[in-house]
Order: sequence, then C-alpha cells, then structure tokens
Amino acid sequence: MKRRSFLSATGALVVSFRWPADAVAQGPLPGSLAKQPLIDGWVRIGTDGRVTVLTGKVELGQGIKTALLQLAAEELVIAPERVSLVTADTERTADEGYTAGSHSMQDSGTAIRHAAAQARTILIGLAATRLALPVAQLSVENGVVRGGGQSVRYEELLTAGQVLHVKAAPQASLRDPARHTVAGKPLPRIDIPAKLSGGAAYVQDIRLDGMVHGRVVRPPSPGASLTQVDAAAVERMPGVLKVVRDGRFLAVIAQREYQAVTAMRALEKAAQWSEQATLEDVEPVYDAVRRSPSQDFVIRNQGRAPAAAAGVGTRGVSATYRRPYMLHGSIGPSCAVAHLVDGKTTVWTHSQGVFPLRKALAEMLGVPEASVHCIHAEGSGCYGHNGADDVAADAALLARAWPGKPVRVQWMREDEHAWEPFGPPMIASARATLDATGGVASWNYEVWSSTHSSRPGGAGDLLAATHLAKPFAPTPPKPLPQPEGGGDRNAVPLYALPQVHVVHHFLPQMPLRVSALRSLGAYLNVFAIESFMDELARAAHIDPVVFRIGHMPDARAQEVMRLAADRFGWARFKRSPMRGRGFAFARYKNLAAYAAIACEVEVRRDSGELRVLRVVAAVDSGEVVNPDGIRNQMEGGIVQSLSWTTLEAVTFDSWRVTSLDWGAYPILRFPQVPEQLDVHIIDRPGQPFLGTGEAAQGPAAAAIANAVADATGVRIRDLPLSRSRLRAAVGP
Amino acid sequence: MKHRGPHERSLRKRLLVVVAVVVLALVAWAVVTLMWHAPIAPAPPLSRAFFSVERVVWGEQLAVIGNCSSCHTARNGAPYAGGVPMETPFGTVIGSNLTPDAETGIGIWSEAAFVRAMREGIGRNGQQLYPVFPYDHFTRLTDADLGALYAFLMTRTPVHAEEPPNRMKFPFGWRRLVAGWNLLFLDPDPFEADVIQGERFNRGAYLVEALAHCGSCHTPRNVLGAPKRGKEFAGGEAEGWYAPPLNEANPSPVPWTVEQLTQYLRTGIARDHAIAGGPMQRVVASLAQAREADVAAIALYVATKMGSYSEPRLQNALASLRRAARPLASTPAPTGDAQLALGASVYASACASCHDLGRMQSSNGALRLPLAVALYDADPRSLLRIVREGVIPEEGSTGRWMPAFGSALTDEQLTALAAYLRRTAAELPPWPELAKAVKESRSP
Amino acid sequence: MTAPITLQLNGRSRQVNSDPATPLLYVLRDELALNGAKFGCGLGQCGACTVMIGTEAAFSCLVPVGVVGERPVKTVEGLGSKHEPGPMQRAFIDEQAAQCGYCIAGMIMRAQALLERNPSPTDAEIRRHMAVNLCRCGTHMRILRAVRRAADGLRSRT
Repeated sequence: MKRRSFLSATGALVVSFRWPADAVAQGPLPGSLAKQPLIDGWVRIGTDGRVTVLTGKVELGQGIKTALLQLAAEELVIAPERVSLVTADTERTADEGYTAGSHSMQDSGTAIRHAAAQARTILIGLAATRLALPVAQLSVENGVVRGGGQSVRYEELLTAGQVLHVKAAPQASLRDPARHTVAGKPLPRIDIPAKLSGGAAYVQDIRLDGMVHGRVVRPPSPGASLTQVDAAAVERMPGVLKVVRDGRFLAVIAQREYQAVTAMRALEKAAQWSEQATLEDVEPVYDAVRRSPSQDFVIRNQGRAPAAAAGVGTRGVSATYRRPYMLHGSIGPSCAVAHLVDGKTTVWTHSQGVFPLRKALAEMLGVPEASVHCIHAEGSGCYGHNGADDVAADAALLARAWPGKPVRVQWMREDEHAWEPFGPPMIASARATLDATGGVASWNYEVWSSTHSSRPGGAGDLLAATHLAKPFAPTPPKPLPQPEGGGDRNAVPLYALPQVHVVHHFLPQMPLRVSALRSLGAYLNVFAIESFMDELARAAHIDPVVFRIGHMPDARAQEVMRLAADRFGWARFKRSPMRGRGFAFARYKNLAAYAAIACEVEVRRDSGELRVLRVVAAVDSGEVVNPDGIRNQMEGGIVQSLSWTTLEAVTFDSWRVTSLDWGAYPILRFPQVPEQLDVHIIDRPGQPFLGTGEAAQGPAAAAIANAVADATGVRIRDLPLSRSRLRAAVGP
Repeated sequence: MKHRGPHERSLRKRLLVVVAVVVLALVAWAVVTLMWHAPIAPAPPLSRAFFSVERVVWGEQLAVIGNCSSCHTARNGAPYAGGVPMETPFGTVIGSNLTPDAETGIGIWSEAAFVRAMREGIGRNGQQLYPVFPYDHFTRLTDADLGALYAFLMTRTPVHAEEPPNRMKFPFGWRRLVAGWNLLFLDPDPFEADVIQGERFNRGAYLVEALAHCGSCHTPRNVLGAPKRGKEFAGGEAEGWYAPPLNEANPSPVPWTVEQLTQYLRTGIARDHAIAGGPMQRVVASLAQAREADVAAIALYVATKMGSYSEPRLQNALASLRRAARPLASTPAPTGDAQLALGASVYASACASCHDLGRMQSSNGALRLPLAVALYDADPRSLLRIVREGVIPEEGSTGRWMPAFGSALTDEQLTALAAYLRRTAAELPPWPELAKAVKESRSP
Repeated sequence: MTAPITLQLNGRSRQVNSDPATPLLYVLRDELALNGAKFGCGLGQCGACTVMIGTEAAFSCLVPVGVVGERPVKTVEGLGSKHEPGPMQRAFIDEQAAQCGYCIAGMIMRAQALLERNPSPTDAEIRRHMAVNLCRCGTHMRILRAVRRAADGLRSRT
C-alpha cells in the first residue's frame, strides 16, 4: 500500500493522505478490485459534481446497471440521479472478464461498493482538513460534507488534485445496511424509460455518420463449402457497395439496410455450395453423446458405500435424465457495428466479454490488440453466449473490407436460430439406495456433457473466422473447473449424504457448436437431482419437502425451502384428477443464491397440454441491493425455464439445423404463462451478495416435472415435457 | 239427378268431419311420434375401471379421425368440455360438453342414450339435437365402433363447464322442428361397402362417410341446411372458409396422389400443394394422432373420388407448374387495368419476398402461388381468410408460419391483390363480387 | 429514383424516400431514425416490430411502406417521451415491466391497440390479444399487470 502526497496547484494547501494503519494490513482486495486496484478505475467525480461509475460488467437486462449505481450512490451518499454508469469498454473500464455466471454483484458490485466507500472516506478526510474539523464532527448528505455550520461539496475538494487516483485498501468503512437509503430499496431501473419511448438503448439503435449495412450469407449447412458465386448481378443492385468473399465467408455491404437485405437474398441465390451430411439425426443424439470419447473426472467422492448386507427395508432407485440441444433464442438477433479508421477498428458489441473479444478480433484481423477497441452496447437478452461475438467478427471483417465508414451487421432470425452456439445436450444418470428409515444411504451420479463454453478465447471461436479461406481453428474445449463447473455445475448435491460419488464425463466433441446457456449444466443437473430426490421421497413414502429438509444441514437452504412450501400452502394442498404439486430446491453452483420453488399444474390428457396454475418461489440472495431486480430475475428465470422445460428442442437432420424460426422452435406465449407467480425474498443485510440471475432455471424445471408426476402418476425424465411426450406417457 | 234431402246432407257433412278429424288425428299422431322421443333414464357415471384399455384406445383412434375436438374443445379450453360456437344460417349452436361430468357433461348418459344421439340425433332428454352435429354421418357407425367411442368419452377427465345457451333465430329455437329435417334428410341405412373396390378403399369410405364427416364441410347444403343429394363433395363451407370440392371438380392445379394426400392429412403440408389453413388445421392436428394406415385409407378414398385428371387438365397442371417455376413478380402485370396494377404492386412489395422464393425450411420461403389451391377455388373466401388471418401453428405446436396481413392491407388493396393473383397465378376468370366478399371477410 | 412517399406518422406528415417495397420497419428505423419498432424476426412471428396502422396493431416488418397510404401510423414515440411518458408507458414503468426491454415497445403498441378498441378487457382477453408478441426474458407476468394497470387507469379517468 503506497502513500501518496498531494500538492495543490497553488502550493498553499498541502494534503498528505495516509491510510489508517490497520487498513494497510496486507490482504486481497475484494471483488474485482484485485484486477483494478485504483479507486478512480471505478468511481470518478466530475467538476460538475456528477459521479461516473465505471464497471467492466455489462447490462444484459438483469438490471445490473441500476444495482451498481445504487451501491455507488449509497456509499458515496449522493442522490442516484447524479450518478451515471459506464459499462465495459476496453479503453475505459476494468477488465472484468465476462458478465456471466451471476458474478456481477460479487465481483463488480463488491469492487464498486468498496471503491465508493473508500472514495467517501478520502473525501471526508480532505473535507476535515479543509474545514479544520475532526472527521467525527462531519456528516455527508448528497455529495456535500457538512460540519460546524460549514459545508463543502465533493467537487470542490477535487482542487486538491487527482484525489481518487489511489490504490484501494483491503478494508473499507461501509455504511451500515440498517441505515441504507438507496441500496436495498426498490429504485426504478434507470434504463427502462428510454426503452419504452423510443430512446436509443441498444446496439441495434446505434447510428453513426456515413454508416452502411452488411449482411452475411451463411453456408446452408455446417459442412458446406462454397464452390461458386456469381456476384456481378448482386453488385449492380441498388445501393450495393461491395460483395465480400473470403473462403466460405460471403457477405454484401449496401448503403441502406433493406438494400442489404434484398442483396443478401439475391446473393444466396447466386451462390452454389457443395454440401455434406455431417450431423447425425436427432434421436440418436443421446446415443452419440454416450458413445463420444470422454474425459472422466470424479468431482466428489466421499463417505463409504453401504455395507453389502444392507438389511431389511433398503431399496435401490435409479433413473436417467436427458435434455436436448437448446437455443438462447434472443428476441433481437445479434448485431454489431464496426468502424476501421486509421488502422484502428472500433467495435460496438453486445458481447458479454469485450476484453476477450478484443483479443480474438485482433488475432482474426492479424493486428495488435491495441488496434482494436471494443465498446459494450446493450443487446436484447442473450442468456449466455449467443451470436454477439460472432456478429462482431462479421462486422470487423466487413469494416476491413470497407474502411472509413462504420458498418452495421444485423443477423437475421434464421442466422441466429441456425448458428448461435447452442446449449449442449446432456445425460445424467442417478443411482441411490435408501436405508430402512427412508434416508439416503448412498448416492451415485454421472453426467455426460460437452463443453459449456466456447467463448472467445481465440479467433477460432468466432464463427466467421472458421469460414475464412485460411480458417482459424476453435480453441480445444476444456472443462470449467469445479466448484463452478460447466456440464458438472450443480452436479454435486448440496444435501448431506452419507456417501456421494459424482463423475463428470466431459465430451470434447459435439457435432453442433455449443456454449454457455443460462445456468450451464445446472439446468439439467438440478432437474435430474431434484426429480430424483422426488423419486426417492416417493419410494420412501415421505413428503418431498420433509425429505429434502431432512437431508439438508444448511440453515439458509432450509429456510428458503420452508418459506416456499409455506407460502404455497404445501401442507394444505388438495389433489384432484390430473392436478398435482411439485417442489424443488437448489443453491446455484452450491455458492450463489438459494432458491426453492413450489408449483401446481394441471395436465390435459387428450392434448398433452400442461397448464402451470401457480408458482411460488423463495430466494435468498444474501444482502439485497435492488429487491425488484431479484424478483424480476426470478420471475423471468421461472417463466423462461417453463418454456425450456415444456417446449424447447433444436431440430436438425443429418445435413443441417431445421429449427430456423419461431414456427419451428416455439417458445412460451402469453396463454401458457402461469396464472399466478409469487417470489418471496429473504434479505440478509451484511451477507455477501449472491448471484441470482441463473438460480431459477433448474429448480423450476424440476418443480414442474415433479408436479406432472404428482398429477398423472407418470414420471417423465426426458426434456422437454412436450405435449406429445405427455400424451404418450399419460395414455388415453 | 236425385235430389238430396236435408237429412242426407247433414249426414254427409258429419262423415266429412269425422274423416277430417281422423286424418288430423293420424297426422298429429305421426307428427308427435316423430317429434317426441322418450327421455332415457340417467345412468350412474361409470368409473374408468369399467372399460378395458383396448377399447378406450380404439375409441381414441376413432375420436381423432372423427375430429370431435374441433367442435367440442374450445381454444385453450379443457378437452371435450364444449364451448365452441358454430355459426349456421339458423343461428349459433354451441358445442356441448362431452366430458363425463354428471351435471354439465354426458356423465349420466347410458350407452343406449349415446348410441341414439349418434344414430338419430336425439339427446338423452328426448329432445332433438341440431344437425350441425353430423349425426347424419355418425348414423353409419357400427355398434362396436360406437361402443368404443362411448368408452373413450366416458374415460375423459370430467370437467364442470356449462356452455352458454345457443343463439337460434326464430323459430329454430324450437328443437322439435328438427324432426322434419330428420324425416326428409336422415338416411338410416347402415354403411355399405363397395364390393368392387378393395378393402383399403372401403375402410377409407367407411371412415370418411361414417366418422370423419368430410362432407359436412365439403358438400354443399340446401336451404334447409342439409347436404344436397347428388352433390356429395361438390364443395361447401365452414366457419367463413370455402371448403373446396373433393370430387372431380377439385380445384387443385396439380393432381393429388394418394401419398401426397396422406402426407397432407397427417402433417398439413405436401409437395406442390398449399398448407392446411383455417378449419383444416384442426383436422390435421387430430389426424396427426391417427394410425397412418387409416389416414392412408381416407386418402385413397378421397383420391378415388377426385378421379384422374383429363388430358386438358393435365396440360393445365403442367402450365401451373411452369408458372410456379419462376417468380410471379417477374410476369409483367397486364397494362391498362388499374386494379391489376395495384394488385401487382401489392404482391411485389408485400408477398413476393417470401412467395417468390419458393418453399424453404424456414417460413421465409413459401409456396409459389400458381400452385395454391385457394386461387383455383370457385369462391374467393379461403384466399381472403388466408391473407387476413395467416396460417399460424397453434401455441406450443411446430409448423410453417404464414403471418396475418389483415391489418397491413386495406380492403381495396386486398381486392386488387386477390384479383391479380386469380389472373396471373391461376390464369382463371375473375371471381364475381370479389369486393363484396372482401368486405364480408373482415372479422367482427 | 422513387417518388417520395408521405406518411402520417404520430400525428405529423413525414416524407420518406425509401423504395415502396421497403417494409415500414426499415423506413422507421433506417430512414427516420426511430428506435421504438424493433427487428426481431422479419417474419411476423414475434411482434417486436409492432406499430399501429389506423386502429389496428400491425407487424411493421411485413407492411411495405408503399401500402400504408393515408392510414395514420402510430409508434411508441407517439405515445409519450422519456420525460413525459403516456399512460400506457407510465403503467409499464410503474410495474417495472421490462428485463432486457427489447420486446417492450412492441408490447406497448399491441396493448394500445387493444385498449383503444376495448377499454375494459378481461384478463383472458388481454392474454389472448397479446399472444402474438413474444418475450424471451419471461417478463410476461409484469406485462400483463402493466396492461391491466393501464386499463384500470383508463376506467378511473372516464
């Protein structure tokens, strides 16, 4: 920890600032402060008294901008209206990697809170000197330090120099949560009013002088190669500026957007491809998954297997659960703008990681990283690694082909459906034994999954770069290590079980490109584990909620389960024909938010229609910064998971993906949304923030499957719980 | 001539009165016995266990071919719980609750009551049912099939749902009048196989005539709402859509093969033919669950009814295929006709981007319109419905998607578009009273 | 050169130079720099592009600008601004009915068309009417509450 001395411009005032001795103690800097230790890397005060907060995280629609702003406003004791936020920008903000894995509050939130608190401490210290009063006699209100009848504004203290350009200390004096006025309060989201009234809010809304439009003609199938393209006629179409071809990367640039779209259609017709059947048909995909060479990891092995002579009353239960390829299905297909001027390429992108993207783009373009500047602009919800990085690569290539003017590339719906990296298919196999009292005696779980991350990385992780005449090769996938995990995320149950053996079979190869989809492996693993817990509870003739609580030592987990069951009216529930209830619990990654979900469903025998009547959720996210944000993420996660669980599967034949629009890949519409959905939040002031954005996916799926089993007596273990599956399972 | 005395005259008068009274009494007796039927006593609701699984499955197979759910399951409603309004020239009839609910469904109907309803159109309470319920077809079902259907319906999930009352025009609210309709139009004879044709044909014939009731929509009706004799499958209507002929007059430019018809009936789409729209969507959704062999039999029967195309028709088919081989917008619109020019411009700007591409995997590429049956129909209603409402898969189902253009086009533009397509894609004479049909096709 | 087309947009006459076959969506966004209507699919399946033409909600991605004629076009910009939101927008803000927010302008226009035609819809009617618009983030419950709130607000003001 360094000391800095400040000299005022006039020399009349010398401020020498020293951290209190105990703060100098060595220790890791909390959150992302470790990556960017300077306080003004996070918080800056302008001469107009406005505060700028910088974060390396990005707004995905999860409300993070508002939450971070609340934290900063709270610790700096300044009105939120006077704070603005800058999100990830490779030339301005800290490198916080990806906004993913529900880390934003833990990483960026913690850093911003600490930086803001320490900034406040610094400013109060400066004010103390300025006003010649001890710190203890000073108070702060809305950016003004007061004491002894005097006051000084934050911006007036800036005359002492770059007062915040100082490294943070490991400890900060944070404001007492009991006295919070901004953080923990439901502050309306700052981004919503503009989004409702046509304000520019998304990367799709960026308009720059001289901007032109590009569209890419993608190969008709992953294995296709471009044999011939007669571009002359396309080049003569109105507004067309250039046709770009590099290997099997084929694109057109035009003056106006619709001209680019029409030219793209014409270029599609003018191109000839030679295709090969490189995929296997849908149904054997699970066989293919099982047959694929795998790297096997034992990720938990504890306790002893039960004695061979297990005794009277023990039972064995086993089951296999599966999920297909799934789409992110962003409602606004991916979009980027790139501009090459004087050797510098600026890219506006909704990528979740602008720093890794910059690295990959630089590699693809063959230029130094400093020649690429990536600025985050919001896209529509991505729910993980969608086409955002790929379209940035498209735009960068087209900017290179048309230097001097910004080039905007918008993916079409079919592009996004066919080429976004999918959520990978997974298989989980569970085996357990129950002892005579109905407790779990042994637990064996194996999960087969490919990688859940093919994010850049390198140039080869950008779709266009793999289609160039000199293609880049994708980064060989490696499993994400525990405790976070990829396909093995949440594969280890949080329950305390006498014997647990969990194996992750990592499959390095998949016929279709796959990557991170909200909650990664947790969706299938929690679906499997919580369905299996239900099957065990039934075999033991014990109530499913009681069964879970009985195996759960974690008090916060118990509380969240009790709250959900209680608010649902679990004990009072009356079953009727084809109506049932289901329950599920998980702690996301066994590290982040706790969520318990109870639901009531009705199954219609003849149509196989599943109606979700009522969902009640309870969540513990640690200290709550924006309660509405948490509620929104849980509601949204539940509804999205309902869509995944009852409807969704990518379809393909041996040549290509065949689910190319919403007609072929339906998602939930208003008539199928639950009639009632309530979220109850347990606030834990002072506790660390726990990421909530992905906490609902798995438990919602299992709660529904458990409710279907309760309603119909039939257990379905293959996702989605589609109408045809339900009809076939339930019978006439 | 003998002169009749006053005594003889009054005797003659009395005799006439007695004869008149006897005749009237006979007529009244005939009318009453026709109109009045005894109610059948309520039977206690039967549990599922009473029916064997095989019989229930058999009944389910019949129900999907009979497409009961089209009229008895409301949109997003519980299966077979009724509530679907059916517009007829005599008023609006609401499909009844067929679930085995004791109070609002058919839970207390005995099998005899069910069979009487299906064969004679008489409800359990003795009242006539309106023939929008096609018992004039179901009357030909075998006893065994009726028993299986009964088993199927009695094992559905009971739903307590009271439909709203029918809204009949005066005097058709008086159900007993239907007795007259039955007398004139209900043919009680059982199904007769055609000895010349093979087993599959006869299976298809039975399924179509006794169960699938295609004629209910595809046969024209007379002023009393009965199928016109001698005009079977000559074209009819349903829910504001025109149901084209399925006989030799069928308008499809390219002839249907049995394989194509089978595929169409099971999936809603077949090569060189348009996708199923409007009420056919629900038929297809039902038939998708039927045994393929049964659907193939239906297809064979229908294809036989269509007959093979004459040489001139085959020439026209080739011409249609040739027209479909190139984008419609590349054909210059006939000059001098402002309406056709408007239609051409509407087509080029609103439709060509999908329909000139030809059908593709994505909904983005759609059938080339010289092959679209709706343009060859004698009646423009189906084309107008398709353009206004689109062809959209039901929530949660997959399928190709034609969006609705009702809010995009004015009536004038739609009229012009329809006229243009009739002329340029189908090369047929204009539809008469097109503008009127366009106006009437606006949903309320 | 195509002749300029005059649109009645949000109560004003606007002249545009796009080819008449250009879908209204691209004219609004690319030529008139309006952000409300969004590109979601271009196929009439998602409703992110929803505007009002006359009294009905329409998919602007499918309506060629040359076909609009004199029918008034209304976009979300015509309902109110960031600082002075209209009643429907106000209802969405009060319910915080947005996550990523991309679908919301389309939702607002779809709901606007409903309430202009039927100021007291039942919950079932709202659900059915909104069914053509997709939301991927799962904000449906809030959207329904926002429309309900706007409808109730209309009733209390009349």
